[in-house]
Amino acid sequence: MTERSGWVPDGVDTGLPSAARLYDYLLGGGHNFAADRALAEKFLRAQPNARTIARLNRSFLRRAVLYLVGRGVRQFLDLGSGIPTVGNVHEIAWRAAPEARVVYVDYEAVAVAHSRMMLAHDERAAVLQEDLTDPDAVLAAARRTGLLDLAEPLGLLTVGVLHFVAPEDDPAGVLAAYRDAVAPGSGLALSQFTADLQPVEMAGIVEVMKKSTNPVHPRSLAEITEFFAGFEIVEPGVVPLPLWRPEEGAVGEVDPARAGILAGVGSKR
Amino acid sequence: MTPSARARRRELARRWMRAVCPTAYVPLSPVEIELFLLDLVDVVTDAVRAEPFTPDAVADVGPRLVRGHFSGQETLQRTVDVLGPALLRAPELRDVPRLAERVVAVVGGIGAGFAVASRLDAFDRQEEVKRALVVAARQAERVLEVGETRFSAVFGTSPFGIAVTDLRGVCVEANAALGEMVGVPHAALTGRRLLGLFHPSDAEALSAMYRAAGAGRVDRFREQRRLVREDGEPVWVHLAVSLLRDADGGPAFHVTMAEDVTELHLLRKNLDHQLLHDSLTGLSNRQHFATRLEAMHGASSGGITLYHLDLDAFSVVNNGLGHALGDRVLREVGRRLAALVAGEDALVARIGGDEFAIVVANGPGTPAVPEMVERINDALAEPLDSGAALSASIGVVDRPSADWGVDELMRAANATLHRAKAHGKRQWLPYDRPADTRSRTWLARAARMPGALADGEVEVEFRPVADPGSGRPVGYVARLRWDELGHEECVGLAEVNGLSLVLGRWALREAAEAAAGWSAGALHVELSPMQSRDEDLVGTVKRVLEETGLSGAGLRVFLDTRSMLVEDGDNAQVLRDNGIAVGLAGFNGGQAELSLVGELAVDALVLAPSVVRRLAAQRESLPHRAIGQMVRAIRESGIAVFVPDVPTPDLAAWWHGVGVDGAYGGFTGPAVPGYEL
Repeated sequence: MTERSGWVPDGVDTGLPSAARLYDYLLGGGHNFAADRALAEKFLRAQPNARTIARLNRSFLRRAVLYLVGRGVRQFLDLGSGIPTVGNVHEIAWRAAPEARVVYVDYEAVAVAHSRMMLAHDERAAVLQEDLTDPDAVLAAARRTGLLDLAEPLGLLTVGVLHFVAPEDDPAGVLAAYRDAVAPGSGLALSQFTADLQPVEMAGIVEVMKKSTNPVHPRSLAEITEFFAGFEIVEPGVVPLPLWRPEEGAVGEVDPARAGILAGVGSKR
Repeated sequence: MTPSARARRRELARRWMRAVCPTAYVPLSPVEIELFLLDLVDVVTDAVRAEPFTPDAVADVGPRLVRGHFSGQETLQRTVDVLGPALLRAPELRDVPRLAERVVAVVGGIGAGFAVASRLDAFDRQEEVKRALVVAARQAERVLEVGETRFSAVFGTSPFGIAVTDLRGVCVEANAALGEMVGVPHAALTGRRLLGLFHPSDAEALSAMYRAAGAGRVDRFREQRRLVREDGEPVWVHLAVSLLRDADGGPAFHVTMAEDVTELHLLRKNLDHQLLHDSLTGLSNRQHFATRLEAMHGASSGGITLYHLDLDAFSVVNNGLGHALGDRVLREVGRRLAALVAGEDALVARIGGDEFAIVVANGPGTPAVPEMVERINDALAEPLDSGAALSASIGVVDRPSADWGVDELMRAANATLHRAKAHGKRQWLPYDRPADTRSRTWLARAARMPGALADGEVEVEFRPVADPGSGRPVGYVARLRWDELGHEECVGLAEVNGLSLVLGRWALREAAEAAAGWSAGALHVELSPMQSRDEDLVGTVKRVLEETGLSGAGLRVFLDTRSMLVEDGDNAQVLRDNGIAVGLAGFNGGQAELSLVGELAVDALVLAPSVVRRLAAQRESLPHRAIGQMVRAIRESGIAVFVPDVPTPDLAAWWHGVGVDGAYGGFTGPAVPGYEL
C-alpha cells in the first residue's frame, strides 16, 4: 500500500502497474487502470483483507492529522502523498483548521501532475516532485514554497510509504534528517507493513510486489519503533491500525490481528 | 415524528453504515457518517410517506452517496439490501397504501441515480488521470521519450473515445475507441475536423463551446451530444472536453473524451432487473412478487391461488454438501417450479433463503390445490445430481376474497406455512381463518404484554406446596397471572415476545419481597428457559436477596431442566455455592435428565406438568408404576421431588403413596396474592 510510486524508469513496460493506483483501487477509487486492477487481484489473493487494510490506513491518516491539528500543528509535510484519492490531508486539515498549510511530496510525475491539477487554485497547498529519501532536496524545495515555517511545529506524515524504502536507502537515517530539521513540538505520523501480524499473508504480498516497480519491505515492531528515535511516542504507542485512538462508534468489524500495518504518532522533544 | 420512529430511523442509519462502510473509504468519523446516512434515511422514508407519492423525491440520494464517496463496487447492492426490507417493515410506514410498489420505486430511483452519478464520477476521475498523464507526458517528453509511450498506451487502450485536437479543431490524434464509435479506422481520423463527426445541430452548439475553451475563458466543459456513424446511425455520447496549455501556460490543444451512453441505458436496465430479481435463481424476488401478486389478484376473474413453500431440511443440504451445492439445488428448484406452472398464468419467486412462492391465476384447466401440491412435491422429489431429494412444506391461500391487500395475502400464506411446518415435513395446509385468528390473538397478546407488565396488570400469586398426605403447606410456589391467563401461558407469551428475562427478574423480586415478610416456609421460584441460561442470573438472585432481605435459606430456585441439558449448568453450581437451594423444574425422567441430576448435584426436582397430566389420565398403567419407582429411587439418593398440577385430593393421595415431598395444584385451593399470607 503506498502513497507514492516510481515513474517508469528505463526499459519501460507500459503495462506496469503503480502501487499508488493499486491503493486507490483498493479504496474504491476510480484513478486506476487495468494493469493496476490486475495487480490488485493478485494482492487480494495474497492478503484477502487488503481492502480493509487500505481503508484502515487511510482512516489512520485522518485520525493522525486531526490529532496533530488538535495539538496545535498548522503545517504538514506529506511525504509520498501519491495520487490524490479520497480524504486527502488538506481536506482533513482544512475542515478542522482552515488556515492549515500542506505540502505534498511525491516522486512520480503523474501523481504530481494530478495533485497540481487538483490544487491549482489554492495558495495554502503545494506539490513537490521530489524523492523523499533525499531530505535536503525535499526540505529546500519545501522552504521555497513559502508555505512552511520550520521554526514552528510541523506534522511530518509518512503514512503507508516507508515500506517502499529499501533498507539500503537507510529509512531511519532519512527520518533522522527530517527530525533534526523541524522544530520541537513537531509530530511524526508513521504507518508501515509488518510481518509481525500475519507472516504468511505478508510473505505473499512481498512476493506479489517483488515483480512490480514498488517492492515491499515489511518491518518488525522493534524496527518501526526505532524510526521514532528522538520522538516521544504518544499513547497508545505503535499498534495495529485500528487500535490507534479509535473513534467513538467505529464499525466493529475489524480484527487488529489482521490489520497488516503498524502505526504510531510521535512528538519531537 | 414519534420518539420510537426517530429511534428506528437512527437504528436503520446505523445498520446502513455497518453494511456500506466495508465497501468504500469515506473520510469521516463514524458519528459523522451516521448523521450523513440518517439525513438520507429521512429523505427516503419521507418520500415513501409523501402524498402524492413521487419517486423524484429521492433523485438526489444516489448522487449524494457518490459525492460522499459511498461509491464502492458493492455499496449500491448493500444499500438496496438494507433499505428495501427495512422500508417494507418500518412500523411508521405500515399504513402507507401500495407500500411494496412505492418501496420498489424509491429503491429503484436511488439505484438509477447512483448508477448515473457513479458513472459520471468514474468518468471525471478517469478524465483527471488522463489529463495528468498528458501533462506529465508532455513535460517528460523533453527528458524521456517513455512518457510518450506511456501516454500512447493509455490512449490506445481506453474504453473511452479520445481525440486530441488543435485549436482549429483538427484531430492531431484519435484513439481506436473513438474510431469504433463512428465506424472509421482511427488513423483516418487524424487530420479531420472533429466537429464533422457530430450531428449538424450539435456541431453548431459545440463549436461555440470549443471556441470559449480555446480562448481560455473556460478550462473544460461537459455535454451530452450525438456523434453520427459512417452508416448514418446516431450515437449518444457524454463528452468531456478540456483545454491543454503549453509550457508557457497558453492554450495549445483540446482533449475530448467521449463515452457511449447507450451502455448507460443498458446498465440501468440491468440494474432494474437486479432490483426485481433474485440473482441466484433469476426468479422474481419478494418485492417484484408482491407487486405482481397485487396486480394478478386485482385482475383475475377465476381468482388466484397463492402457494408459499419452504424446503424441508434445506440446511442439511447446505451444511452437509456445501453452499456451492446448496446454491445449485436452489437454482434447480427454481427451474422445476417454473417448469411446473409454465402452462399457467402464474409467477414463481424466491422470497427468502429457501422459501419460494407461486401465484396462479385460476383458469378452466388449472389443477385443483391438492393436485398442484402433489405436482410440486413430485417435482421436488426427483433426485438431484447430488443424490439429494427434496420435499417442501406448503401454505396455501386459495381464491382469497377481492378485498384482501397484498400484505394480508403474503402474511396469511406465511402463517399457514408455519402451521403446516408444525405438522412435520412434506405437509401442506389451506388457509384456516379460525386457526389464523387464534394465533393472531395469541401474538397480539404477546405484543401487549410489555404494556400490561408496566401497568401492573400482571401479578405474582402464591400456591401452597403441600404435603400430599396431610395437606399441610411446606412452602409456596410463585405463579404468574395476567387476567384469565395462568402461569404457563404467561411464560409462553414472554418467550415469544422476548420479555422472558425482564418478566422473570421482576417476578423473582416481587415474590422475594412478599416472602421476606412471612414465615410460611420456603419460597419456590421456577425460572423460564431463558432466565435459567441468563449469564447474570447469580448476580440477579444475590441482588434480590440483598435488597428484599429474604434469607438464602428461604428461597429455592428451580432451573429449567431442558435449558440445563444444553448449557453447562454453571448457574446451578454458582447458586449453590452461594448458599441457595437449587432444583430442576420441568423434569420428565429421561435418561439424559437423570444423569444431569447427578452432575449438577441439585437437591430437588419438579416433575414436568405434561408428565403429571398424562399420568392423571391413565391410572394404574405401566407409566404409573415406572414413575413411582423412579421417584422412590430419586428420593433415596436424598433429592426431594415435587409435583405440580395436581387437581384433586384423590390424585394427591396417589402421589402421597408414591412418596413425593410436596405437591401443588387445585387440591390445595386457588393461588392467593402475597398479602394474604
